[in-house]
Amino acid sequence: MESSRFSVFARYVLAIAIVLMFVFPIAWFALTSIKPISAIFDKDGVVVFDFVPTYENYQVTLFGQQSIDVSENSRSDFGTSGGNSYDGRSSIVSSLIVAIGSTFLATTIGLLAAYGLSRLQFRGSQGMLHWILSQRFLPPIAIIIPMVFIFRDLGLRDTHLGLIIAHTLINVPIAVLLLKSFIDDIPRDIDEAAMIDGATRLQVFWKVIMPMAKGGMAATAVLCFIFSWTEFLLSLFLTNSIRTIPVKITTFVTSTGSEWGYISALGTSAIIPGFIFILLVQNHLVRGLTMGAIKD
Amino acid sequence: MASVNVEKLVKKYGDLEVLHSIDLDVEDGQFVVLLGPSGCGKSTLLRTIAGLESSTSGDISIGERNVNGMHPKDRNIAMVFQNYALYAHMKVRDNMAFSMHLNKTPAARIEERVNWAASILSLEPYLDRYPKELSGGQRQRVAMGRAIVRNPDVFLFDEPLSNLDAKLRVQMRTEIKELHKRLKTTTVYVTHDQIEAMTMADVVVIMRDGHIEQMGSPMEIYDNPANLFVAEFIGSPGMNLLAGKIVEDSGKMICRVGELDLPLPEQMNISAGQDVLYGIRPEHLIPSETGVKATINVVEPTGPETHLFCHMSGHDVCAVSRERMNWKADEVILVEPTLEYVHLFDAQTKEAIKRKT
Repeated sequence: MESSRFSVFARYVLAIAIVLMFVFPIAWFALTSIKPISAIFDKDGVVVFDFVPTYENYQVTLFGQQSIDVSENSRSDFGTSGGNSYDGRSSIVSSLIVAIGSTFLATTIGLLAAYGLSRLQFRGSQGMLHWILSQRFLPPIAIIIPMVFIFRDLGLRDTHLGLIIAHTLINVPIAVLLLKSFIDDIPRDIDEAAMIDGATRLQVFWKVIMPMAKGGMAATAVLCFIFSWTEFLLSLFLTNSIRTIPVKITTFVTSTGSEWGYISALGTSAIIPGFIFILLVQNHLVRGLTMGAIKD
Repeated sequence: MASVNVEKLVKKYGDLEVLHSIDLDVEDGQFVVLLGPSGCGKSTLLRTIAGLESSTSGDISIGERNVNGMHPKDRNIAMVFQNYALYAHMKVRDNMAFSMHLNKTPAARIEERVNWAASILSLEPYLDRYPKELSGGQRQRVAMGRAIVRNPDVFLFDEPLSNLDAKLRVQMRTEIKELHKRLKTTTVYVTHDQIEAMTMADVVVIMRDGHIEQMGSPMEIYDNPANLFVAEFIGSPGMNLLAGKIVEDSGKMICRVGELDLPLPEQMNISAGQDVLYGIRPEHLIPSETGVKATINVVEPTGPETHLFCHMSGHDVCAVSRERMNWKADEVILVEPTLEYVHLFDAQTKEAIKRKT
C-alpha cells in the first residue's frame, strides 16, 4: 500500500516536471511578448514578473500600428523599425490560407489514395506504397532549387496556390500512409456488407468508409496542418511578398538587431490558430471509432 | 424466394484451384448448410454465390436468373457475416435501413419494414442505439435484421455464430431456425460446427478440399456416411475406426482386428481377405453382458450419458452408455457393437462398403 502510494506520488512529480519542461519555453515566450523592452533586456538580471505589462508588441504585430507611435522606450540600442514591416496580419492570413488549403488537399488526396491502396488489388500496389513513402526520404532542401524553377515557370511562385501545392506534395505521402493504416483497420467485411446491401464502390467509400475513418482523417488533418503552419524552407524559397508566419518572423531579425518583443508576440499569436484547429477536431480524435462494428 | 443452382463451378486463385467443379442445388425455401473443416472451400463457395468472389468457370443461378458476373447488389441476396460487419457510425435503425435508403425506398415503408424486423428479432428497445452499445448476441441480431428487412431471395450466412459464447450460440441457433420457419427464405449457411449443421439443416453438404464429399439430410449423413472422411467428421465423440481384415469363420464373415473378431451384419458387399476399416459409433458400442473385452481407461460422465474410453486389444475405442453405472478406470467390461449400425470402409479407397440390396 505504502509503496504504491509512493509510486503514485513519484509519477505525479515526474508528470509535473515533464509538463513544466514543455510549458516553460512557451510560457516564457508569452511572458516576453508582454514585457517592455527594458524588462526583456535588463542588465541587472533576469526579470520574471517584476515589470509593467505592455501590449505594444501585439499592437504592432497584430494591429498594424507603427512601432514608433506606441514605443514608450527608446529602441536606439536595439535598432528601430522601419515603417510597419512588423505588421504580421497578412502573414497570418497567408499562413491560414496555405495551411487550411494544403491540409484539405492532402487529406482528400490521401484518403482517396489510401482507400484504393487498402481495398483494390492491383499489380504493383505494394511497390506504389513504397514509392509514396520514399517521397519522404528526400529532405526538401535537396529538391528546392528545381522546385523554385518549376514553380516560377508555372507561374506559381509567390502565390498562395503555389505554396498550397508545395505543402500538399510534402504532406500527401504521410497522409496516405496514415489513412491507409486507419482504413486497413476497417474490416473488408463491412465493405462487402454494404455492397450486398446495394452500395456501389463509391457509395461504400462515401457512406461507410469515410464516416468510419473520421478519427483517422482528423489525426491526419492535425498533422498536415501543423506541418504546413510551421513549415519554413519551402515558404522561404517559393515566396517573396506572401510571407507565412515562420518566414515573416525571421525578418524581425535584422542587421541592426532582433526585435524579441515582436518575435515573441507574433510567435505567441501563431500558437492560437493551431490550438483552435486541434480543439475543433479533437472530438473526432477518439480511438475505437469502429468499436461495435465487428467482434473484436 | 428462389432456388439456387450451382453448376460445374470452378474457382481458381492464380494456379491454385480451390473449388473443383461444384454442383449444388438448393431448392426454394430450403435450409442448406455447407459444413467442412477450415480451408475446405465452403466460405469461398458462399462468397462466390454472393458475388463477392468471381467464379473461374461454371454457372450460378438464383431463381431463373443466371447471376454470373453480376454485382452483389443486383443479386437480391442478403448476407450475415461472422464478425457482424455492422456500420459502427450508424444507429441500429439506420444499419437495418441502409439498403432501403440506398434504393430510395419511401420513408414510411422503411419505417414499417425496420419495425417489422425489429419486432421479429426483439430489437425494438435498441433501435436508437449504436452497435457498440449492444452485446454480441444483439449485434448478431442486428446483422440478421439488416438481412431480413429487404426480403431477399436468398439468405447467406457465413459462420454467424462462431463469435458467440456457447450458451448464446444455442439460443441464436434456435432463433435462426425459427426465423427460417417463419420467413421460409432459401438459406445457405456455412459452418464448421457439426452440431449447428445437424440441428439446423434440411440438407447438409459436407465439403473437403474444394470437393463436395456428401450431401443429404443430417440423419442420412450421420447414419450412412459415404466415406471415411464424412464418418470421421460427423459425430462427437467420433466414430471408432479399427483397421482389420475380412475372414470367413465357419461360414460367417467376420472382421478380424488384431486378436479381436468383430461381428458383421449380413448382406455386406465384401469378400474374404479384403482389408477394411471397421467403424462403429460410440453410442452403438454398448457395455453389456456379452461382447468384446475392454479395459476402461477414462470415464467421462456428461450427464445424460457416460463416455467410456477403453483399450480393446491394443486399440483405443469409445463406448457410450445411457445407464448410470459406477464404472471405474482399469475396470474390465464387455462391450457389444450393435450390428445394424456397423460401418465398413474399404481400406484402399476409404469409400463406404454398401450393403447388398
